[in-house]
Amino acid sequence: MRDRPLLLSVALGSVSALLLVVVLAPVLVVIAGSFLNTAFLGISSERWVAGGESELVTFKWFGYVLNLYRPQLTFGVQLALWNVALCLLIGVPGGCALVRRAFPGCGILEDLLLLPLSIPGITVSIGLLQAYSMIRGKWGLLLAGQLLYTLPFMVRSVTSTLRAHDHAALERAAHSLGAGFWRTWWLVTLPNLRHALVVGSLLVFAVSFGEFNVSFLLNTPLYQGFPTALYATYTTNSFQVSSAATTLFLLVIVPVLLVIQALGGRESTKIEQGA
Amino acid sequence: MTKNIPALLAAAAAFALPALAQEKTVIQYDCIPNYANWGGVTALYLKETGVRVPPDPKGSSATMAALEKEQANPQADVAYYSGAIGFQATTKGLHQPYKPKGFDQIPADLKDPEGKWWTVHTGHIAILVNVPALKGKPVPKSFADLLKPDYKGLVVYSDPTVQGTAFTFVYGINAIMGGGPDMAKGFDYLKRLDANILAYPREDSYNDLVRGEVPIWINADGNGLKAKHVDKAPIETVVAEEGTIVMPLVMAMVKGAPRGDEAKKYLDWLLGPSAQKTMAESFFRPVMPVDLGPDLASKFPPASAYSKARTLPLDQMAANADAVKARWVKEIKGSR
Amino acid sequence: MREGLMLFPLLFVVVVLLLVPLGTLGWSSLREPGAAGGWTWENYARFFASASARRALGNSLGISLGVAVVSTLLCLAPAWLLAGRDFRGKRWVRAILTLPMAFSGIIIGFLTVIMLGRIGVVPRAFEALTGLDWLQGAAYGFGGILVAYLYFEIPRATLTLEAALRKFDPRWTMAAATLGASPWQRARLVTLPLVLPALLSTFAVTFGASLGSFGVVLVISRRVSLTPLQIFDEVFAFSNFEAAAAMSVVLVVLGFAMNFFLRGLASRLLAHRA
Repeated sequence: MRDRPLLLSVALGSVSALLLVVVLAPVLVVIAGSFLNTAFLGISSERWVAGGESELVTFKWFGYVLNLYRPQLTFGVQLALWNVALCLLIGVPGGCALVRRAFPGCGILEDLLLLPLSIPGITVSIGLLQAYSMIRGKWGLLLAGQLLYTLPFMVRSVTSTLRAHDHAALERAAHSLGAGFWRTWWLVTLPNLRHALVVGSLLVFAVSFGEFNVSFLLNTPLYQGFPTALYATYTTNSFQVSSAATTLFLLVIVPVLLVIQALGGRESTKIEQGA
Repeated sequence: MTKNIPALLAAAAAFALPALAQEKTVIQYDCIPNYANWGGVTALYLKETGVRVPPDPKGSSATMAALEKEQANPQADVAYYSGAIGFQATTKGLHQPYKPKGFDQIPADLKDPEGKWWTVHTGHIAILVNVPALKGKPVPKSFADLLKPDYKGLVVYSDPTVQGTAFTFVYGINAIMGGGPDMAKGFDYLKRLDANILAYPREDSYNDLVRGEVPIWINADGNGLKAKHVDKAPIETVVAEEGTIVMPLVMAMVKGAPRGDEAKKYLDWLLGPSAQKTMAESFFRPVMPVDLGPDLASKFPPASAYSKARTLPLDQMAANADAVKARWVKEIKGSR
Repeated sequence: MREGLMLFPLLFVVVVLLLVPLGTLGWSSLREPGAAGGWTWENYARFFASASARRALGNSLGISLGVAVVSTLLCLAPAWLLAGRDFRGKRWVRAILTLPMAFSGIIIGFLTVIMLGRIGVVPRAFEALTGLDWLQGAAYGFGGILVAYLYFEIPRATLTLEAALRKFDPRWTMAAATLGASPWQRARLVTLPLVLPALLSTFAVTFGASLGSFGVVLVISRRVSLTPLQIFDEVFAFSNFEAAAAMSVVLVVLGFAMNFFLRGLASRLLAHRA
């Protein structure tokens, strides 16, 4: 490797640096815009001046956003928690059973489970609305739509952990020592999955909280996730209000992503096909 | 860590449960915070009564389409439209009659005699200009000015198949240009204007106008005046020299409203003095006689500015609405 | 039996929440609007007869292809570094590059307007420096949409490539070098064939994600329209579910076709090498 041309290293490094700047710069501008007067920033012709006074720094727009969109923020978090709970209840036993290939067709089921990740969210939401129009207006449909996009993350987290280690051998050992099926599952399988479950839950939370494609048409007036509120501020409010709302979103989502990175490192590559 | 997990789960569950029981609400379709100050009006209602009316981004026509689709299972309690679309929705049987307190004081031509719709305030079609965004180009004074090559890519009006204000403009420009029932002069103008159009957004463009992303927005006068006087943005509101259209903005109660009692209380309140004055704070003219105080009244343009304003019959507009929208999609949007 | 019990909820989700709605979508795309309607091809006929619908579909395919190519090539750089080298701050690099993963399209649309809009940061700075307003409103053209979609694909492309490149053993190129291959020969004959499947799968992932996304254009659509946005319009503005269903089916079928084509290509390349 010593003969690797220096030129190549420089090229790789500078393209990577460019991408880092492209990703980070707008985020920093938005965070700055949420509390700095945008007229001073020079990116807006507006002067949001209250009572003839111009303040350089103000946090009042966070108050404005929370006042107007608190229901969306609260419900968005609640919805994400419901997703985590259902994914744990459905995805964990399901993932374990999938790995054992207990039935013919398990492979197809696994493929179908990952299918939503390659279908546009808006088409899935229209299908759900058409098929179950009688329960339109309840948030069950919104939860159902999101579940299709969150469940694959939990199931993949579980199956890849079980497949990576020779888990079947462990279970056989437990059986030979006289442990029953459920006892083995509870005492051997689940503890081994601890890490996968934590990372999977965080992923599910992040995906659900930020999901817009499938959620937007399934929203009801009473039950909407936070990205819908973001969209409303982008069209009908000022730059500062939009920035404050986006910063609130980042405050929820970035810590979750950082914990995933810290815990998982390599695990995060499993979300490669995420919506 | 492992020991804490059950406690963590319990806390999460305790937090997630209230999703089942929410605070009192009334659902209003078409409730855009920076249109006619609905943000201020609903915030005041929340403060006075504890009932929340969440923001809703639909325009008039999108509201009508949603109500039509939900007839079997209504979601909304009340709806807000520009007059023509509200009238059209009434003819489709989407509203139930209700006469809120103060209904009798509304002039007869601004309400349905049975109470299937009534006006809450009126506005006028105007040209809203972000002056610095023009970078020294003169502020247009008329609809004819907007055709000048100077303004190429600077002009926006919303998609009239979604937003009622834009529909009122698309329909009314024919009358302003002196056209007849075939709408030829109106569509001729719109076709020539298309060369200067930046976009036909389906959403409200208040944010973009105030920021300067949209330099010229054809919309209601009150929104431009609010941008200038309340949000202190460099916005000029131009009433075109050729004249303008009077636009009544109406409320109606949705047939089968799931929260009917709360809806009625809210509709009563909207005609009361506190709500009417809050609407006037974004420079839409309240339908009820309400004292604005000298400061606010002086910020309204003088009556002389509206000497050439026309009132179009809502029933005719409503009857032709679908045809005009379809023609607009075919001849204007479809040609892009 | 016990496995059946564990599997059943999963099966329920797949059948009731996925297969039934997708079936309904196909069914209603063949129905006349209204409850009393019969069977018809009309929804598809109208879609393909409409010039603006065809143009939007062309835009969707063109932009998705362009973004897939550009993002795959650009993200090769950070993926190569993350997979093959150790350096300080590696975790931070990965954390930053994966940040857009949790951003829905609307957020990216908003960020694009802030940076590249008429009064965006970049055009403003460019004008202040050079006096030229060439970049003004760049967000709203094809260029702006490309940049926005690229933003959205950076994490997907980087992570997919990194995972694939980690399997790549650099000793093979070293072996080629000791056998006297020139750097160009090594790249063409050893590295490229080994990396190509990874490139193709990344291409497939990014293409699929771009084709289905509509949040970005929902915020920055000006002159350019895309199919997912038109689907959204049919439902949001007109509540015309039948037309929307037909457009959805077209989009899903095209996405699948591309996916199968790329998979086939990848396996053929692998077979060829073996």
